[in-house]
Amino acid sequence: MNKKIVFIVIIATLVIATGWMMGANSKPVDFTTQVKPIINKNCITCHGGVKQKGGFSLLFREEALGNTESGKPAIIPGDPDNSELIRRLTLSDPEDRMPYKHDALSKEDIDILRQWVKEGAHWGQHWAYAPLQPVAVPQPTSFFGLFHTSSSWVTNPIDNFIEQKLTDNNLQPSPQADKQTLLRRVSLDIIGMPAPEKIANSFLADNSDSAYARLVDALLASPHYGEKWTSMWLDIARYADTKGYEADRGRNIWKYRDWLINAFNTDMPYDSFITKQLAGDLLNNPTDADYIATAFHRNTMTNDEGGTENEEFRTSAVMDRVNTTWQGLMGSTFACVQCHSHPYDPFKHDDYYKFMAFFNNSRDEDTEADYPLLRQYTTTDSSNLLSLTRWLAANVSTNSAKAYYSFLKTWQPTINSLQCDQFKNAALVSSWYAGMRNNGSCRLKQVTLNGASQLMFRYTASVQNGVWAIHLDSLNGPLLTTINLAAVKEGWKIAAVSIPATDGVHDLYFTYHNNTIDNPETTGVLFEWFCFGQPFPGRGKPGYDNAYHLFWSLMNAPVSTTPVMFENPDYMHRASYVFERGNWLVKGNVVNPDVPKSLNAFPAKAPRNRLGVAMWLTEKQNPLTARTMVNRVWEQLFGTGLAETLEDLGSQGIPPTHVDLLNWLSYQYMNEDHWSTKQLIRTIVMSSTYRQDSKMNSDAQQNDPGNKLYGRFPRTRLSAEQIRDQSLCISGIMSGKMFGPSVYPYQPNGIWLSPWNGDEWRQNTGEDQYRRAVYTYWKRSAAYPSMLTFDGVSREVCTVRRIRTNTPLQALTTLNDSAFVDMARHFALRMQQSGANTPTAQIQKGFLWATYHPIDDKSLLSLLQLYNTALQSFSKDEQKTCEIMGGMNVHTTAATAALTVVANAILNIDELMTKN
Amino acid sequence: MTQKELHNQRLVKEAEQTVMRMNTRRHFLKESAMGLGALAFGSLFGSCSNTTAQSSSVVFDPAHPLMPKLPPFAAKAKSVIYLHMAGAPSQLELFDYKPELMKMDGQDCPPSLLEGKRFAFIRGVPKMLGPQAKFAQHGQSGLWVSEHMPHLSTVVDELCFLKGVTTDQFNHAPAQLMVHTGSARLGRPSLGAWTTYGLGTENQNLPGFVVLTSGGRNPDAGKSVWGSGFLPSVYQGVQCRSEGDPVLFIKDPDGMSRDLRKASIDAINQVNAEEYKAYNDPEILSRISQYEMAYKMQIAAPEVMNINNEPQYIHDMYGTKPGESCFANNVLLARKLVEKGVRFVQLFDWGWDSHGTDASLAIDLGFINKCRSVDKCITALLLDLKQRGLLEETLVVWGGEFGRTPMMENREGKQNPYKGRDHHTEAFTIWMAGAGIKKGFSYGETDEIGYSTISGKVEPYDVQATILQQLGFDHEKFTYEFQGRQFRLTDTRGKLINDILA
Repeated sequence: MNKKIVFIVIIATLVIATGWMMGANSKPVDFTTQVKPIINKNCITCHGGVKQKGGFSLLFREEALGNTESGKPAIIPGDPDNSELIRRLTLSDPEDRMPYKHDALSKEDIDILRQWVKEGAHWGQHWAYAPLQPVAVPQPTSFFGLFHTSSSWVTNPIDNFIEQKLTDNNLQPSPQADKQTLLRRVSLDIIGMPAPEKIANSFLADNSDSAYARLVDALLASPHYGEKWTSMWLDIARYADTKGYEADRGRNIWKYRDWLINAFNTDMPYDSFITKQLAGDLLNNPTDADYIATAFHRNTMTNDEGGTENEEFRTSAVMDRVNTTWQGLMGSTFACVQCHSHPYDPFKHDDYYKFMAFFNNSRDEDTEADYPLLRQYTTTDSSNLLSLTRWLAANVSTNSAKAYYSFLKTWQPTINSLQCDQFKNAALVSSWYAGMRNNGSCRLKQVTLNGASQLMFRYTASVQNGVWAIHLDSLNGPLLTTINLAAVKEGWKIAAVSIPATDGVHDLYFTYHNNTIDNPETTGVLFEWFCFGQPFPGRGKPGYDNAYHLFWSLMNAPVSTTPVMFENPDYMHRASYVFERGNWLVKGNVVNPDVPKSLNAFPAKAPRNRLGVAMWLTEKQNPLTARTMVNRVWEQLFGTGLAETLEDLGSQGIPPTHVDLLNWLSYQYMNEDHWSTKQLIRTIVMSSTYRQDSKMNSDAQQNDPGNKLYGRFPRTRLSAEQIRDQSLCISGIMSGKMFGPSVYPYQPNGIWLSPWNGDEWRQNTGEDQYRRAVYTYWKRSAAYPSMLTFDGVSREVCTVRRIRTNTPLQALTTLNDSAFVDMARHFALRMQQSGANTPTAQIQKGFLWATYHPIDDKSLLSLLQLYNTALQSFSKDEQKTCEIMGGMNVHTTAATAALTVVANAILNIDELMTKN
Repeated sequence: MTQKELHNQRLVKEAEQTVMRMNTRRHFLKESAMGLGALAFGSLFGSCSNTTAQSSSVVFDPAHPLMPKLPPFAAKAKSVIYLHMAGAPSQLELFDYKPELMKMDGQDCPPSLLEGKRFAFIRGVPKMLGPQAKFAQHGQSGLWVSEHMPHLSTVVDELCFLKGVTTDQFNHAPAQLMVHTGSARLGRPSLGAWTTYGLGTENQNLPGFVVLTSGGRNPDAGKSVWGSGFLPSVYQGVQCRSEGDPVLFIKDPDGMSRDLRKASIDAINQVNAEEYKAYNDPEILSRISQYEMAYKMQIAAPEVMNINNEPQYIHDMYGTKPGESCFANNVLLARKLVEKGVRFVQLFDWGWDSHGTDASLAIDLGFINKCRSVDKCITALLLDLKQRGLLEETLVVWGGEFGRTPMMENREGKQNPYKGRDHHTEAFTIWMAGAGIKKGFSYGETDEIGYSTISGKVEPYDVQATILQQLGFDHEKFTYEFQGRQFRLTDTRGKLINDILA
């Protein structure tokens, strides 16, 4: 009893005291930075998007102020003393005191909440959801002119933002790094590898003030720029050369990677860059490149395993596209709302499925062939296609020319045979193709015939004389047509037959009879796809025969293919539903395409499809698109984003260290630089902030160990790609070859062992084994091991941030992987052939190449000692000499072998693993 | 440099390192509310699902990601050996004795078992297939084991059977992912990755999570079954190989002697020490220690991976064949690895997919050979662990990814050339032994033909929850934040199987 009284007195005293103290504090409580974190940490699990205990939720203001189950609101703005929320925080009965069954809130936290309610319980908008506005650049202040801040340090507005915070914390920026360090840093950052010799030398020789700016421009103009930034984008696009899942078979999608390289190199404005990737196929008269851009969302996995439900994996791919769009392009954890309303951010459960409806009408259906595919013709065939479309435009109509162009480029729209069901004596073979035996039947449901008078289909048959009959609406329904199926010698065949013109939507029932089949288990025919439409138009017009012939030769022409997006025509429209608790089998309400209400409105004139999504995303009102990309570019350059959680700019993400700077850069990116990524990078790397030294002086360490204030340049370990590319460059064997199918550099045996898949790693010879990392063949289930060890990701799903680790397996890789040992040999030869005659001079030269700066005496001594030890042992052992040179017989001298050991060591020093 | 100088240098370096380690750790903890730590502090911030606050405080220290850590509460198991028979062995020929099924042998499958069901390969009406093995009761416990496991029958009193395991995945890859990552989709961390993330590992000279495969193929789901998913990649399983380098890139290049490698690592670290003087970045010290560890691992890993030095009685006991690549060798390696402080050892043996499509996949032929190849060595493992006092702290788990049908498979409606069984999700058997699990115990029952589970039904999530429990974790509180939500191995599911805890 006594205790209770004492307790209450203490509480009361505290409340009065803090009330007084808070009153004295003139600054109002900020919802976003002060209140929301308390709510997210302590309350939202039970009172948010997932659960609303007691009918109370703190997710939206209207919910928080609304009536709870008790019939009364828990928050009365302006009146904390009568607000149940505040009362419950301070009770002593554990049954009533909140947070329920957890420690009470700290006095400070309660005070903040109390003051917040007192001030009216205003809701703040989370920083990342507010549209971008012009941001004032902080100006250096002088206190009555008595002293000045070091504004001479400032090169561009970035530095003003950085300097302000440093000054507030009594810190100084570091001096500019030396020229060599800057050269290596900015080269690795802009082109992902050391600068080509010519660029490097002209910078080092240039002592003018503009030398650095010229270097930056030269690097941005280098074709290697696109390769480096593509490496980054491939993780977001979850690019791989295989389809994923069990068999993880190959997929030809490398043209998308090449598209990215070109897009970065031509500095395609970021708004076009993402528009083409999301909806290039929906642009007017899409080019091949526009189609290839859409492979962005065809990097989803395809399941080839027998017995799998294609619709399940189609749905899974569509959901992955939604998640990737939000995670990769908007830094948002929208994926959360597939099961329930977002616990922390303003997204509701339905929002997910409304947004998914934009993506739910692409033609892909988890087919084995990865349809739809862009078909790219040879030059001759391309000009044939051109003359065909011209003929159609002149003799039929421009619409017809457009439709035939699109059909010949994609074979779409067609109906995949895996849509068949009700198999009797027939089956969906391997879950890929409808196959029928003698007297078999199956159904193709809800086919829109629309007056179709021709059926085109792709099939294969091992036996002659099959008879395929199609009945309308039931097995005994009216006979639509009977088709004689000729045997197909090899592969697949496309055939077209006339059918009686039929209107309406029908279930089609297929039967197959073939009296020549003896074995009842023989599959007579396999279908791949069907297309109901009209015969080739323009019969009777001059040149018809030639055009007709061209059409068929193009249908069957040899092509290279890339999986792309293709939208369902209206008559193939799929309805979209809410999935209850994210389960695709439990369908709730039908939903129409829309964007969450809490962000910018869908543009009035935009179509309700992927193109509309792209327009919405790249609208200046969209608060997330620019911030996400700017934050990502910052992370690539500084190792950490201004907001560390690239994957979550929402209220659970780590708040930016410099929110105004992020906003300023993002506003600039959209409005002043017109989405020019090169300009964004130029602005950042030109800043004094970027050019700082990375050495840690003890002050900085004491006060800002995590370097959150940017009082120095943050040292960062190189990415897997940079480590490989750098070593190739230093060794002098980097192939400058760009583009083309992915390559197979050295990889130990036995890495690829997928069941049901005899694919083998066929190591390249010649320059292809020394290509940049971005061209390495990427198999999802067994990715290139040395890159995985350096935190490369398997790319099954979108990954926006790699977590950098430091492990002994990494050391083993660069020490012992034959690919790296091979580089060391070439590096040693390069040192020997440099004109330097003594081991000392050779090591000096090699170190200079590797780091751009001369080696210090102690390090030289260590490496020289290693050289001598190695030389001694190799002089006595011809066998080992030969071995370490890997059979390079011309060079098997003990000296070369010893230098190879040194080269191997140089390629492993910390300085080369790190960006200083 | 003289020996003494070297020694002094090392002492100075070690001291520096300790100081820096403490510094980084302190800074790290100081910042953890904001920085990387927040990732790991899991449900401290609440979560998407209904886990409540105050959970595991697993701190991820990128500089020392595998340092041993204590679990939130006292653990029964220090390490885990997971024996996965990839392809899914038949419970009906091993542990789940169904005399009634024998009576139905050769009859058409009753329609009630087929209606509304999907099978991977069975089409139309298949025939029932009686048990293709004789069963007997063994040990004090009187548990049933078939004649295919004559050795294992002798240690049945150490085992705890789960006979009512079910899954919802009937294809190998997703089902294997379900068992090891708690999700049928790719991209989630595996059990071993979660374990090393949560506990680190005892022996810094060896990987903390080792994977060994046999049977000529990797498991169907590929490396994702031992992947790190969204956890830092350092926690993925390290595949050790019985041919070629035991660990990828562990072997020095041809022509590089050990002495020379030592000299080269010393030189690298001396250069790095100069770098450290200039930059003062503790990450450099960490790199120095990683190179030292790499050197030690180069000795430790081939040593532990070499079974030649084991005494003859051990070889006899396990039936090992030094120089070959086989399951028995891997089982012996598993014991050696655990003994050396490796946290999680996962074995995959490929070839248990007894469809009856050829002799090697016939339930009355190839299957028996597979049983022979695992029976003796697994028994030896249990006895060997026991005699070394390790069974008490090592959890051994045996199982597949699903079960097999009581029906004989008729692929696409045709009679298969050999006797076989199709994939079956509604009942299969997993057993566990050691580390605080009941001995000589059987939990869960199937119906009289072994088609459905009728009591003690458990899902892979429940098995995972139980394994985590033995390792000292509450599966609901052991979380990692990714894409804005707290993920756990058991997703939103998982019930501890209390009845099997000793």
